[in-house]
Amino acid sequence: MSEKQAMIRVQNLKKSFGAVEVLKDINLEVKKGEVVVLIGASGSGKSTLIRCINFLEIKNGGDIFIEGKSIDPKKDDLSKVRQKVGMVFQHFNLFPHKTVLENVIEAPLIVRKINKEEAKKEAMQLLKKVGLEEKADVYPSALSGGQKQRVAIARSLAMKPEIMLFDEPTSALDPELVGEVLETMKQLAREGMTMIIVTHEMGFAKDVADWVAFMDKGKILELAAPHEIFNHPKEERTREFLTRVL
Amino acid sequence: MPSISHLIEEFIRTFPFFLKPLLLTFELTFASVVVGTVIGLFVALLKISKFPIGPIIANVYITVIRGTPLIVQIFVLYFGFYKVVDLGQFWSAALALAVHSGAYIAEIFRGAIQSIDKGQLEAGLSLGMSPAQTMRRIILPQALKRSIPPLGNQFILSLKESSLAAFIAMDELFAMARRLSAETFDEMTFFLIVAVYYLVIVMLFTYLVNKMEKRLAKGDS
Repeated sequence: MSEKQAMIRVQNLKKSFGAVEVLKDINLEVKKGEVVVLIGASGSGKSTLIRCINFLEIKNGGDIFIEGKSIDPKKDDLSKVRQKVGMVFQHFNLFPHKTVLENVIEAPLIVRKINKEEAKKEAMQLLKKVGLEEKADVYPSALSGGQKQRVAIARSLAMKPEIMLFDEPTSALDPELVGEVLETMKQLAREGMTMIIVTHEMGFAKDVADWVAFMDKGKILELAAPHEIFNHPKEERTREFLTRVL
Repeated sequence: MPSISHLIEEFIRTFPFFLKPLLLTFELTFASVVVGTVIGLFVALLKISKFPIGPIIANVYITVIRGTPLIVQIFVLYFGFYKVVDLGQFWSAALALAVHSGAYIAEIFRGAIQSIDKGQLEAGLSLGMSPAQTMRRIILPQALKRSIPPLGNQFILSLKESSLAAFIAMDELFAMARRLSAETFDEMTFFLIVAVYYLVIVMLFTYLVNKMEKRLAKGDS
């Protein structure tokens, strides 16, 4: 366990929205190349946790280390941090006024400041990887949900992140479109991308996760290898949850 | 009431007199909308900015402009501009109208910016773009597109409001109507004629805005 560096370390993380405590003392470590899947009922704090790791929500307490460095959202340049940490959203959040290709090259042009030719070349490779090179010049409104999400993944990869966060990437998709997005994510996992994934796709979690974390009421109740969690859950709440979703 | 045939006769007879005022009305409207749009965008960004004093300044401006009659603003600003910085008559009048419409345009932009899904900002930020880059590259282009229909309405309002510039010695449409009616004592005729001028321009412009609105709607998902 210890020879690999912790890409992300979350220590005693606390987050409240007003009087509601959404995250209570979360501890989590993700090493390079690991895939951690967060499961749990809605409202258990899964999404809030990965949003905190990307500083889209600002923690109320505790520490978040990215590649060993504690990040202070008030002092540190969050843009720099986020360049290392890609994020894929439930509702894709593609830029509707830009074509697929323009969506993918936007951040490399503006943030990495590479030239347009290079950005296009990289983008086309990424679009090929997600199987959408022929859609480069269409607008997002002409894509299916699954295609949109694959473009969103390509857009995020274009920043060459070290870590990818997925916030329920298939929850807004029609059932027949879920597979293509999961396949893309599996491919990323095989390539050794460090990932934290919030999902309700238990089959996917079994296949891809190195670790599965079960969250309940703002806490990580149980963290174990997938076969442990799915076959021998230790906690009563985990058992209850799994019988409901499996 | 003047007869229809009299109105038509007078319309044709005085048409050449109205050409220059018509052009001036257009120029005043156009200049005030363009400058008002720049003011409006700036004030909208101030209003949603995180600098604590930004929203205060924006709110004071919007409250004062919306809370006082346009004719009063025109006189205050016109004489203010005219006597203090002497921009010439046209620009003093145009700026007075621009400062007025700027307050309304600011609210148009603010509403449009805030109507853009929060996910767009988050997507930009998550890619490592700064909040300012995300605003400029992602939010504003979408917000400006959404602003076009209400900006069209504002243009129509500004066009009609430019008639008040007649009271600060601008020889635009309404001023010409006043002069002709004073010369002929045939007031009804010329005020009806000038009403027709405004009505036709507004109807034409409304048609154009509607057409543009339909075309823009096509591009949306």
